[in-house]
Amino acid sequence: MSVAHSRLRYGITTAVAWSLAILVFFPIFWMMITSFKTEEQAYQLSVIFQPTLQSFREVFARSDYLSFAGNSIAISLGVTLLSLLLAIPAAYSMAFFPGPRTQKILLWMMSTKMMPSVGVLLPVYLLWKNSGLLDTVSGLIIIYTLINLPIAVWMAFTYFCEVPKEILEAARIDGANTWQEIFHLLLPMSLPGLASTGLLLLILSWNEAFWSINLSSSHAAPLTVFIASYSSPEGLFWAKLSAASLLAVAPIMVLGWLAQKQLVRGLTFGAVK
Amino acid sequence: MSTPQSQASLSALADRWLPKLVLSPTLLISLVFVYGFIAWTGWLSLTESRLLPQMDFAGLVQYQALFENDRWWTAVANLGIFGGLFIGCTLAVGLFLAVLLDQKIRAEGTLRTIYLYPMALSFIVTGTAWKWMLNPDMGLQKVINDWGFPDFTFDWLVDPDKAIYTVVIAGVWQSSGFVMALFLAGLRGIDDSIIKAAQVDGASLPVIYWRIIIPSLRPVFFSVLLILSHIAIKSFDLVMALTGGGPGTASDVPAIFMYQFAFTRGQLGLGAASAMMMLMTIVAVLVPLMYMETRSAKRG
Repeated sequence: MSVAHSRLRYGITTAVAWSLAILVFFPIFWMMITSFKTEEQAYQLSVIFQPTLQSFREVFARSDYLSFAGNSIAISLGVTLLSLLLAIPAAYSMAFFPGPRTQKILLWMMSTKMMPSVGVLLPVYLLWKNSGLLDTVSGLIIIYTLINLPIAVWMAFTYFCEVPKEILEAARIDGANTWQEIFHLLLPMSLPGLASTGLLLLILSWNEAFWSINLSSSHAAPLTVFIASYSSPEGLFWAKLSAASLLAVAPIMVLGWLAQKQLVRGLTFGAVK
Repeated sequence: MSTPQSQASLSALADRWLPKLVLSPTLLISLVFVYGFIAWTGWLSLTESRLLPQMDFAGLVQYQALFENDRWWTAVANLGIFGGLFIGCTLAVGLFLAVLLDQKIRAEGTLRTIYLYPMALSFIVTGTAWKWMLNPDMGLQKVINDWGFPDFTFDWLVDPDKAIYTVVIAGVWQSSGFVMALFLAGLRGIDDSIIKAAQVDGASLPVIYWRIIIPSLRPVFFSVLLILSHIAIKSFDLVMALTGGGPGTASDVPAIFMYQFAFTRGQLGLGAASAMMMLMTIVAVLVPLMYMETRSAKRG
């Protein structure tokens, strides 16, 4: 292959890759643009306009927006912490004290993740209703944790398995007890992996729509419910809707950009190293 | 009084039981929660529950009602269209993107993140941008009309026969980056020396990809297929955000059907029956797939 030929090929691949990236990003880009327009400008398709924060001001003026955002934050953080708290010991136990049934247990746990949520929706709804958990933040935290726990265990297990056992054994011979082993060796060594797991949990619970739409209406409703309810009756206010949507995805976009490696690893459930 | 000996046996006891002790809550929660509740749903589907759950056995009346319901069959047909097209297109686009990024392009990490973004963002939210683009009065159709092609029409979103295809487009947009990342990881795992050997033998790049690289991605294909079919069957937010099952009931899928009947129409039993049908579909799709994968893994 000649140099000119391979350079041409490289140029074409790069051009195609970037055009596709622009295409993929376009809907998000358009949402950004529209959120800085006025309602009248939103109907014109031009990219050149006087940007205004009017839509954002109006979104914030609806005091309930902040309560939806607050719920989203509380729920995501709660789910992430609770899931890690439950998953890490379970994964530790399976990775370092494997029994004859460990593989099977892991498979069964993952199998629950493959079951569609609708299969358990009705009982959960009835149970939540009877126990007063319906439309509460803690009710949503519990259900999201239950849903995401298998993934968290699976990922933590994968990362723990990568930690060389010799190091832990050496520490034990040097007289370290289980707690020291976990807190001074295991957790620091698998921190990047656990960070990916945490980021994935954060993203999944931030985005969760099925359960939030079904189990909350106003008091505990997160942003996904807000946008879903906003988009039908007020669907014609594109600028405001875009501003609200942008505010809802911005945290994940920024977090994902800052932690790109963790994002890729998390979203692919640890399949990408 | 604790002698050194009793302390040692205590810690040995802890060593033996602690792992099981910390594992059990998680295991118990996830198994009881999912399989117990599925059994509960199964029972509900065998009762005449309407607005309130009833516990009296009523046989298969709900399933009979379900099978006589035209809306259910629309939803099933839509799932077939959506599932087939979504899985096929996402696989193709994802593989293409992965091969593209495998060409050692500069700023590969940035491109990968951009391709993955749709997967990281809630479709309930990004769906607003899609609704706008697909809206014939404002989006793509208007842009092209304004450019001097007044006859161009793109009104799939409001066309009962085409609405489900807009869900396919959005679904492919959302999941392709994810499939790309999985394939890319698979591509990177392939032994370079095999490819170099083929190059020395004079094989062209397309031949190398078609004959060597893609066949060796077989295990990745399995997991991608598994995850995509799972996404397709439980698809809820895509449809909810984009069409809401409309126009009318034209783009209903089973998850929306179940939500509508169980919650807005007070037909718990019928909703439970539809949920059980979805569960059985998932099992019918996944079990053979997983069986095939474990068998091919054993053969090695």
